[in-house]
Amino acid sequence: MIIDVHAHWGPWFFTMDVAALNHAAMDRYGIGRSIVSATEAVIYDPATGNRALDGWLATTDRHYGYVTINPRRLEQAEKDLREYLPTGRFKGVKIHTDYTRSPADSPQTREALALVAAHGVPALVHTWGPTVLDLAATCQDTPGLKVIAGHMGADGHRHAIEAARGCDRLYLEPCYSHAPARRIAEVAAAVNPDRLLFGTDSTLIDPASAFGAVAAARLDPETAEKVAWRNAAALFDLPV
Amino acid sequence: MTAFDARELIGELTVTLDVDVLVGAYADRDGPPGDPASVLGTLAEHGIRAGAVASLRAALFDMRTGNDEVLALPDVVPVGAVDLRDPLGAVREIERLVPLGVRAIRLFPDEQGVEAGFPSVRHVARKAAELGLTVLTGGDVRRFWQPFAGLGATVVFLDTHFYHLGDFLVVAADEPGFHTSTRLLNSPDALETVPAERLLYGSRTPHYEPVVPLLRLATSGLRPEEIAAVAGGNARRLLG
Repeated sequence: MIIDVHAHWGPWFFTMDVAALNHAAMDRYGIGRSIVSATEAVIYDPATGNRALDGWLATTDRHYGYVTINPRRLEQAEKDLREYLPTGRFKGVKIHTDYTRSPADSPQTREALALVAAHGVPALVHTWGPTVLDLAATCQDTPGLKVIAGHMGADGHRHAIEAARGCDRLYLEPCYSHAPARRIAEVAAAVNPDRLLFGTDSTLIDPASAFGAVAAARLDPETAEKVAWRNAAALFDLPV
Repeated sequence: MTAFDARELIGELTVTLDVDVLVGAYADRDGPPGDPASVLGTLAEHGIRAGAVASLRAALFDMRTGNDEVLALPDVVPVGAVDLRDPLGAVREIERLVPLGVRAIRLFPDEQGVEAGFPSVRHVARKAAELGLTVLTGGDVRRFWQPFAGLGATVVFLDTHFYHLGDFLVVAADEPGFHTSTRLLNSPDALETVPAERLLYGSRTPHYEPVVPLLRLATSGLRPEEIAAVAGGNARRLLG
């Protein structure tokens, strides 16, 4: 069984037609559960996107949600966290640092992540290149915060190794539309296996991308099990 | 066997010609040494029977000795790498390679710091079209379509990202010789959107994980005859 901690629900603005989550694709890769954010909330309006996602999550027992927050709209964020986290359908928070132009070390993102920590749930934060180091610094400065570095820095996976070593509350999630040779293997060899997670970026990216990249790393069985579901279940307190 | 085992999903898929294979190393990055024996070994390990191989030595340092290295390899389709920083030398190298049986050249604009609007690209594009050569080119398809437009050129864009799929499709509609590699077409419906006769399996072995595009192709919605075409039939048609 695999838990996908980085998935989406809703349409994309690219040349693609994949608004619906593809359960056949999940089944193909053994993905039993996924934690999704609403694309509308990530790209445009958290209020309407979170509301729509809440309605959809009520119809499925295969997916959990992220409450997406925009660090520039913390009043709305506080309202959404109070409304949706108690439902049990939402297990964490999503922050996209690029769409909101709010870098991981910006004052507004630091404030947003402090808010997340106060609510006691993990945050999935978009990272790219060296920004994963900024996220580690913010995490280190925010007591009680647990963060997932989405994409584990993408082409900056060596920065992600340094980030994970610098903050023991930072987790790494690998999805990336490119598959540089040995990227996953290098990270797995250098980072505490308890802080490695699996994510696909579905529905933007087919699960083949992340699944294949992890398969290429040939993880030992114990590490593979942690990456597949054990670490995610513990981090999000999911029933298994 | 772990949760991340791709072998069963890939099944019997065999790639008969991978259009994107390199020998040699990049001086500006860590990565595999790219010695021919290990590159060919990686292809064989993944059920890839043959590669269209180009030389990084030729692309980055010296066209003639690098291309001669590739011409000496057994059981590969040799691709002539040319240096766009020297358009006159590039054309001389093309004229040397054609009598030796080379049917394709490869361009490395990103590695050589060459933009699509530079005169050298149009100069080499014209020569390749005049000689009926297939051009394998890196670079952003949204820009690099232009120097090949209106020439009746046969081109394989090796770096087409699914973010830019729409741009590829609209230019390919006007240019019957435009094709794309599958390497970065990792969205859930990109392979199913491009006409199958315009798709060529490309892995960029050894610098990328070949299993990712293998997995995406093996699990695609294409018909078996279309998969066979993408896995090498189309490449054989263009490269011999």
